[in-house]
Amino acid sequence: MEGAGTSYSNAFRFVAPLQEHLLQGSILDAHCEVLLHRLRGLCDNADTTPETFSDYEAVYQLKNNLATPASQYILLRVRQALDHPEAPHHIRYLGQAEVGDKSRHTLVRACFDVACSSNVRDFLNELGFKLDHEYVARGYFFHKGRMKVMVSKIYRMQQPGKTDQNTLEPITQSHMVELSVVAPMGQDSIGEEMKNFAEQLKPLVVLEKFDHKRLP
Amino acid sequence: MAGSSVKVSVEALQEHQIQEVTLDGQEIYVQQLSMSENLTKLAHKIDFFKDESDGKGKPASEGEKEVAEDKQLAPFMPSLWPWDTVRNHLKCGLTEMSVLLDVLNLVKEKQYLVADPASQDTPDTRPAVQLLAKKKSLVAASSVLLSGAERLKKSHCEASKKTNDFHTELSTLRKIWRLKKVSTNIVGDLSYRSAGSRFWQGGSFEVRKSVEGEQAETEGEGGAARATSLEVTVPSELEGVAYIQVEVKTVPDMMDLTSSALKMPPGLSAVPTNAYWQSKLESAQNVLFCKELFAQLAREAVQVKSATPHMVIGNQIITNVFPGHQLSIVLCHYTGKEKRVPPSNTKLEHNHVLEHSLHQLLHEVHHRNVRIDAPHPVNATYGMTKRRRIAGPAALTRQDMIHMADSESLLSQIIKQTKHAVLRIRCMHVIDQMAVSIQDPQITAHWGCLNSALQSSVRIFITSAGYESLNTLSRTSIVLLIGVDTIRVVMKDGRTCQLSFEDKELQDLLLWQIAQHHTSVVQQIARYQGWQVLTANSSIGSGDAESFATSSAITIASPKGDKVISFRSGPTSGQRLMVKSVHSQADAHPSPAVTDSRWFELGGAFSEINLEKLEGRNLASKIDMLVAHLSNH
Repeated sequence: MEGAGTSYSNAFRFVAPLQEHLLQGSILDAHCEVLLHRLRGLCDNADTTPETFSDYEAVYQLKNNLATPASQYILLRVRQALDHPEAPHHIRYLGQAEVGDKSRHTLVRACFDVACSSNVRDFLNELGFKLDHEYVARGYFFHKGRMKVMVSKIYRMQQPGKTDQNTLEPITQSHMVELSVVAPMGQDSIGEEMKNFAEQLKPLVVLEKFDHKRLP
Repeated sequence: MAGSSVKVSVEALQEHQIQEVTLDGQEIYVQQLSMSENLTKLAHKIDFFKDESDGKGKPASEGEKEVAEDKQLAPFMPSLWPWDTVRNHLKCGLTEMSVLLDVLNLVKEKQYLVADPASQDTPDTRPAVQLLAKKKSLVAASSVLLSGAERLKKSHCEASKKTNDFHTELSTLRKIWRLKKVSTNIVGDLSYRSAGSRFWQGGSFEVRKSVEGEQAETEGEGGAARATSLEVTVPSELEGVAYIQVEVKTVPDMMDLTSSALKMPPGLSAVPTNAYWQSKLESAQNVLFCKELFAQLAREAVQVKSATPHMVIGNQIITNVFPGHQLSIVLCHYTGKEKRVPPSNTKLEHNHVLEHSLHQLLHEVHHRNVRIDAPHPVNATYGMTKRRRIAGPAALTRQDMIHMADSESLLSQIIKQTKHAVLRIRCMHVIDQMAVSIQDPQITAHWGCLNSALQSSVRIFITSAGYESLNTLSRTSIVLLIGVDTIRVVMKDGRTCQLSFEDKELQDLLLWQIAQHHTSVVQQIARYQGWQVLTANSSIGSGDAESFATSSAITIASPKGDKVISFRSGPTSGQRLMVKSVHSQADAHPSPAVTDSRWFELGGAFSEINLEKLEGRNLASKIDMLVAHLSNH
C-alpha cells in the first residue's frame, strides 16, 4: 500500500498468475429466449435446466498514491450470491485490460479472486475504501469445458444497499452476454477456442472485446 | 448393263406350273401357254382407256414380239419399261378392289364388325341438370384418381419399407449418436467424452451409404439382418465384443497367474459384420468403456502402494483381498480373429455384482467430471466443489484441505467391495454351518435386506425348541455388522466387540454365546418353576479353563431348599449338571443364629447327572423335567 514502485497488477500476478479472457456482447430482452435455447444446445449438461444466479456486486475504490493516470484508483469488487446465502462472498481484483492487436481474439486482464467472509465490506470500509457503485445482476450461467457463459440482466438499486425485488430497476432493455475463461498466464490457445464459440452465436449476439477505457 | 459382252437371254421357265396336287400325290400341271396365248393374256391387262401420254414407251401398235421381249427385259431396266404405267394402274386398281372387297365383307359378314346404331340422347338443356351431370362425372373422375393415388401410395410405402431411405435413417442415427460432417464424410463419435470421460482413445466412426449390391445380399441372407441403407465403420480396435470379468478365487497359497487366458462364454459371440448399425455402435461403445475401465484400473494398480502389491499381467489385474482369496479382473476383448476356444464345460465363475459395481464406479467418475457445482457468485472460480469454496472463509486447516482432495481410486474401492463380499459370504457360511451342525439350541439368522456395497447386517437368534416364547430373556440375539474387513458384534446385553475377518473368531463367539444361552435357559426354567437362583455367573473363574472364552454356571435351589442343582456350561467343555439333595435333620441342635431351616442344609455332596440319559428333546426340556420332578419329590 505504500507504493513501493511495483504496480499492483504486477504484484497480483506474482501471487496468482491468473488471467481472465473475456468477450462481451448484449442482446435485446425479446431475443434472449432464443439465445438461451441455443446456449443450452451448445454447452455442457444440456439435459439439465440452466443454472440461474442472482448476484449483488458492490465496487469499492481507494485513491492510489501513484500518480499514473491508468491506476488512479484501486477498484475491488465484492460479490455475493443473493440466491445462495450460504455461499461465501467474493472479492475480485481486475488488472489493466489488454486489448491487444488483431491477432488476439479476446480481452485479457489479470484477475484475482478470493472467497471471503461476509464482513468483507466492513473491512474494506475500515481500510479506507469508498463504495463507488453497486448493482444486481440476474441471469443464467452456462459452461462448456472451462468456458463460462453468463447471460445476465443488470439492475440499478433505487435504494442503496437494498436488494429487494421491488426496489430493483433494470438499467437497459437488454441482457449482457459474457464469455469468460480464467486460466493461468500464457495460455493463448484459449482465445481461439473462445472465438470459435462466439462464432456459433453470431447472428444472435456479437461477442467482441470491448476496450472499457474508450467507452463514452 | 454391267457387262455388254455377256448376253443374257430371258425366257419363260420350261417347267410347267403345278396346278394342283391330287390326293395320291400326282401333280397336275398347267398347260404351257403358247406365244400367242401369252400375248393375249398380257394384252388383256392393258388399260387402253388410259391416256398414253404419261407412258413414255413406244406406241402400243408395235410388233408383238417386241412387246414380249420388252416385257421380259423389264426387271433389268424398270425406268425404261414401256408397260410400267400400265402395271402401276393395274396395281392401284387391284388395291382398290381389295379394299372394296374388304369393306363389303365387313359390312356383310357380321363376324368382322358389328355396328350398333348409337342412340344419341338429346342433351338436357336445363342448367341444373347439366350441372348435376357434370358434378356426377367429376365425382366419378375424382374417385378414379383417388383410388389410383391410393394404390400408388401403397406401393411406394411397400417399396420404402423394404429399403429404408438413407436420409431418414441418417436422421434416426443423428438422434441417437453424435454426428458431424467433415468435408464429404460424416463422422460420428461414440466415446464417452461428452459424458465426462477423459480417456485418450477416441471413438470416432464413419457413416456411409451402403452399396445396393451388399444390401441385396444382406436381405438374402435371412430375416435376422435388417436391411439398411446406412453403414457404419468403427475403428478396428473397437470391433468385437469386450467385457470385464471379475473373479474372486480361493487359492491355497500362491497367486494363480495362469488363468489369464481368454475365456469366452459360449453365449457371447462377435458382432456379425452385417449387423444393424445400432447394435454395432453399442458394442463398440461397450468395448471402449471396458478398455477405459481396465486402463484406469491398471494404472491405479501400478501407482497405488499397498501392503500386498497388485499385479498387472497382460489383460489381467490380480490382487489379494484376504490371505487365500484373490481378486482377478480380466479384460476380455473378443474381436473374432482369435482362435476359438472350444467351449469348456466348466461354468465361468465370475462375480456379476462386482462387475456391475465396477461399471458404476467409472460412470460415477464420468459423472463427477461433468457435473461441477456452478459457482456462486457467478464470477467465482469455476471447477471447485462447494466445500472447497468455503475453505477460505471457514478457515479450514491444511489437513482438512488434503483430506478433501483425497479421492479413492477405483481399484481400492472395488477391493473394498470385494472384501466385504467375501467377508459376508464367509459369515453366511459359518452361520449356516453352525445352524446345521448344532441342533440344540437352534440358530436362526435374519439378514437385513437393506445393505450397501460396504456394509450389511445380520441378526442371529439362539433359541431352544419349545421354549422360544418362555421369555425374551431366554432368546439370545446377536447383531453382526459386517464391514469391509472387520465384523462389529452387538451382543445380547448391548456390549459390542470387533472381530477380524477370520472365520474362527466368529465361530468361537457363537459357541460362547450358545454356552451362555444354555445357562440363561436354565435360569428361566428355574424361575418359572419357583426355584431359587442361588448364584449365576456368565464367566466363572473356577474349574477347568476353556480353550477359548469362558464357561458359565448357575446354581438353583428348590423351593423347599432340599435340592440344589448346579449347572455349568462351557463352549468346549460342554454342559454338566449336578444335583445335591439334603435331608433335613430336625433333631439337630438349633442355634439362635440360624433363623431358617434351610440353612441347616448347606453341606452335602453333589452327584453328577448324565444329561444324555435324561428324558427330553433338548437340554431345556430335560432340565425342565428334572426340575419339575425334584420339586415334587
